[in-house]
Amino acid sequence: MSLLSSMYGAVSGMSAQSNSLSAISDNITNASTVGYKDASTEFSDLLTNVGKNAYSSGGVKTSVQYDVAQQGVLEAASSTTDLAIQNNGFFLVNDASGGTYLTRAGAFTANADGTLTNAAGFTLMGYSLTADNATTPADGVPGLIPVNVTAESLQATASTTGTLTANLPSTASSLATSTTLPSTNASGATYSEKTSLVTYDSLGNPVTLDIYLTNTTASGSTTPTWEMDIYNAADAGTSSTTSSFPYSTSNAADGDTPLLYSGTLSFNSTGALTGTAASGTTYTTNLGTSQPSTATSIAVDIPNTVGDTQTLTLDLSGMTQLASNFNVTAHTTNGQAPSSVTGVTVNTGGILAATYANGTTKNLFQIPLGTVASVNQLTPLTGNVYTTNSESGIINVGTANENGYGTINSQELESSTVDIATELTNMIVAQRGYEANSKVFQTGSDLLSMLNNTLK
Amino acid sequence: MVSLTSASTIAQSALQAIAAQTSVVSRNIAGASSTNYYSEKSVNIVTSGSGGAQVLSVTNAQNNALFNSYLNANSANSMQSALSSGLTQIAQTLGDTTSTTNDTSPSALLSNFSNALQTYEASPADTTAASSAVRAASALASGLNSATDTVQSVREQADASMATSVATINTLLAQFQSLNNQIKTGTVMGSDITDLLDSRDSVLQQLSAQIGITTTTGANHDMSIATDSGVTLFQETARTVSFAPTTTYTASTTGNAVMVDGVPVTGAGSPMPITSGALAGLATLRDTTAVTYQNQLDQIAGGLINDFAETDQTGSGAPAEPGLFTYSGAANSSSIPISTSNMTGLAGEIQVAASVDPTQGGNASLLRDGGIANTSGSSTYTYNTSGAASYTTRLQSLITSISQAQTFGSSGQILTSASLSDYANASLGWLDAQQQTTSNAAAYQSTLLGSATTALSNGTGTSLDTEMSKMLDLENTYSASAKLMTTINDMYTALFSDLNL
Repeated sequence: MSLLSSMYGAVSGMSAQSNSLSAISDNITNASTVGYKDASTEFSDLLTNVGKNAYSSGGVKTSVQYDVAQQGVLEAASSTTDLAIQNNGFFLVNDASGGTYLTRAGAFTANADGTLTNAAGFTLMGYSLTADNATTPADGVPGLIPVNVTAESLQATASTTGTLTANLPSTASSLATSTTLPSTNASGATYSEKTSLVTYDSLGNPVTLDIYLTNTTASGSTTPTWEMDIYNAADAGTSSTTSSFPYSTSNAADGDTPLLYSGTLSFNSTGALTGTAASGTTYTTNLGTSQPSTATSIAVDIPNTVGDTQTLTLDLSGMTQLASNFNVTAHTTNGQAPSSVTGVTVNTGGILAATYANGTTKNLFQIPLGTVASVNQLTPLTGNVYTTNSESGIINVGTANENGYGTINSQELESSTVDIATELTNMIVAQRGYEANSKVFQTGSDLLSMLNNTLK
Repeated sequence: MVSLTSASTIAQSALQAIAAQTSVVSRNIAGASSTNYYSEKSVNIVTSGSGGAQVLSVTNAQNNALFNSYLNANSANSMQSALSSGLTQIAQTLGDTTSTTNDTSPSALLSNFSNALQTYEASPADTTAASSAVRAASALASGLNSATDTVQSVREQADASMATSVATINTLLAQFQSLNNQIKTGTVMGSDITDLLDSRDSVLQQLSAQIGITTTTGANHDMSIATDSGVTLFQETARTVSFAPTTTYTASTTGNAVMVDGVPVTGAGSPMPITSGALAGLATLRDTTAVTYQNQLDQIAGGLINDFAETDQTGSGAPAEPGLFTYSGAANSSSIPISTSNMTGLAGEIQVAASVDPTQGGNASLLRDGGIANTSGSSTYTYNTSGAASYTTRLQSLITSISQAQTFGSSGQILTSASLSDYANASLGWLDAQQQTTSNAAAYQSTLLGSATTALSNGTGTSLDTEMSKMLDLENTYSASAKLMTTINDMYTALFSDLNL
C-alpha cells in the first residue's frame, strides 16, 4: 500500500513541520527571556517496509534538541544581584517545595525576607560564609541554603589587629631625664608626640586610644629609644584644660588600669625599628597573660565592657626615627562600628559580600555553580530551569572561576540565545516543507481519486 | 555566536557607552564654569565578554602632589593674612607715620612732648608754655592708653576669630566624616564616587584655610587628617577640637590654647604647635606679636613714670613717688623706679597727675618746681624751694633723662639699653618691620597660592576645548552606532518582506 503510505508519510511530514513551527514559535516568543536556550527540532526518517522492488513510505520522526550549552550574549543590567554566567555552569536554585534545579536565568531580586529569587520565582542557593569568613564552600548540594542579603543587617566587628606606621622625629629633644613621662600618668606629663587610633570593642563601641610617643634617648647614646604609652581617651582627665593627664584611675567597668600599654621602641643607626620592649605589668595585670614577645608588634589591652579579654595586636614594623617631621602614614585597625547594609556586591568568584554604610564589607555567601556531565541532555522545565535525568548525569557543584567553571558577572544578564533572523529563516523552511508535504498528500489523494474514478 | 540579534545588542551597548561618556562630558563642561572645586572626570570603557562596550567606572583626574601643595599654600596664605590684618589694624590706629601733623604714634607724641618741655625750659615763667607741656604729656599718656586699648582689642578679636575658626573646623570635620563614609561605601559598591571625592577635596581646601593639615589615604579611598604638627584631626572619626574663648583682654591676660585631640596646638606650652592656617596666624597675633608690642608700650610707659618720678628733697628718707606721669595703681606702689620686669599693663594705666594738670584743676608750673607728689600741706618733693620763676634745674634734668640711656626689659624684643626716645622710635620701627614682613609674606604666599591653584586647575581641571573635541568624537561615534542599528533594522525589514509579512 505504497500510495496510502505516501499519504501517511506526508501527514507525518506535516506533523513534523508543525512541531518545528511550534519550537520556532516558542523560540521567537522567548527571544527576550533571560537565560533562555533555543530549542531546535531534528528530523530522522522512519523506514517501514523498504524492499528492492517496493517502497512504502514510513514518514519522519521529530526529536526536540535544546542547545543548553550555548552561551548567550551578556547584557548590562543595573542591579548588583543581576547575575550572568560567562562560560560553563548553572546557578543552583530551589523551588517552593525544596527541589533543586539548574538555571542560567540570573535576574535575582531580594524579596520581602531578603532571599534572592529570580523572575520565575526560584530561590538562589549558596553556602554561608558568615561563620568564619572562609571563602571555600563544602562541596555538594546538601549544604546549600537560600542566599539572604539581609542576613547580617547590623554588624559590629571587634578590633584585633592594627597597623601604626609613623616617623618619629630624631630631632625631638630627649625627655630622658623627665620625671613626668606619660607612663607616670602624672598631671602635666610631658611627651614629644601624640596620635590617636580608633578601635572597636566587641559591641562595636569606638574606643579611641591616645598614643603618646616620647623621645627617651639617653644622653650620648647611639641607640635611640622612644617610650610609647597608650591610654583610653575616654579616661582623659578633666582637671586640666590643656592636658589629658592624669587619666582617670576609677576606670570603666572592666576595672583595668588606665595605662593600656607602656613600652620602649628601639631604633638603629639608620632609623629603622629594631625592637619593642614592654615595660611594667600593665598588660599582664589587665589580661592575666604575659605580653607576647615579638620584635615589632605589641599587644594592647582594649577596654571592653563585655568579657575583658580583647587584645589588639598593633604592628609597628614600619615605624622609623629619622630627621623629619612627625608624620603618621598608616593607622588602621580591622574593627568596625555597627553599621547597616547599604548594598551587596558579587565578585566573579561568586562571593556575595554586604557593604556597610561605613564602607566596610563582609563576605556573606558563596554562590556556587553546578553542572552535569551532558548539559544538552538536561530536561527543561517551566521557568528556564533544568532538571537532571539519567542521560544528563547528576549535579556537580563547584566554585565559579575555578576548575573549568565560568565566572559570575554581576550587573549583567545572559540574554536569550534565540536569533530572530535564524528563526524566521527556519520558519520559511518549515512553511515550505509543510506546503510540500501537503502537495504530496494532495497528489496521493488525487491518485486515489483517479483510481476510484477508473472503477466507475 | 554572531547573529543579527547579538549585533543589535552590541550596537545598543555602544549607544549606552556613548550616552555615559556624553553625560560625563556635560558634567565636565558644567564643572569647568563652576566655582567649586571640580576635577575632570573620565569614563573607563572595556570590551565586555560578548564583544560589546561596557562602562566599567568613572574616575576623576587626581594629582596628590599638586593638591597637597595647594593645601600647604592655602594654609600658609591664611596664616600670613590673619597675622597681617591684625598688625595693619594696630598700625592704622597709630596714624599716618609719614605725616607729622596726623601722627599718633607714641614715638611722635614723645617727641612733641620733649619739644614742649624744651620750649618751657627756655621760658620757665611762661604759664602758657607750662600748660602746653602738660597738654603734650596728657596726649602722650592717652596715646599710650589708646594704643593699649587697640592692641588688647586686636587680641580680643583674634580670640573671637579663633573661636569661630574652631567652630568652622568642627563643622568641616563632621562633613568630612559623612563624605568619607560615603566614599568608602561607594568605592566598595563600585558606584560613581567622583563627585563625592570632589566634595571631600573641597572640604579639605576649606579646612586648610583654618588649620595646616596633612592627609593620608588608605584602602577604599579612606582618608585621615592630621595637623601640620602631626596631631590627629580625623581617623575613622573626627577628633575633638576645642577652645575656651576669653572675652576680655588686658596686658596680663594669657589666652587659652586650642586643643586638638587632647593636645594644645597653640601657645607657649604646646608640645606640637601648628605652624600654618588662620588659627596659627591668629594665635601668633594674640600670643606673640601683639603681646610683644604691648610689652614695648609698657616699657615706654614705665620709663616715662621712672624718668618723671620725684625724689625726696628734704632728706627725710621718704620714698620716690611718681611725678608728672603716674598710673592708677600708684598709691599702692612701693618701688619707684619700677623694675623693668614689673611694668606689665602700665601703658594702659599711665596718666598725668591731677595736681599738675590744669584741665583737672591742677597747677602746670609744678612741672618746673616739682612737688607734684606732695601730699596736702607738705613740700617733701618740691625742687624749687625758693619759688623762683626762672628755676630750670628740674626741667633740664627731666629733658636730659628722656635722652639718657636707660635699661629696658628684654620682653620688648628690641633694645635693652637706650634712651626713651630711641626706644620709642625702635618700637615704631619694629612694628613697621613686622607689618612689612607679614604683608610681604602674605603677598608672597598669595602669589604661591595663585600658582598652586593654577597648577592644580591645569593638572586636574577641565578644559572646554578638550571637552568640545571629545563631544564631536562622541557625536560621530553615536552616528556610526545608530547607523549600525538602522542597517540591522533594514536587514530585518528585508527578511520580513521576503516573508510577505
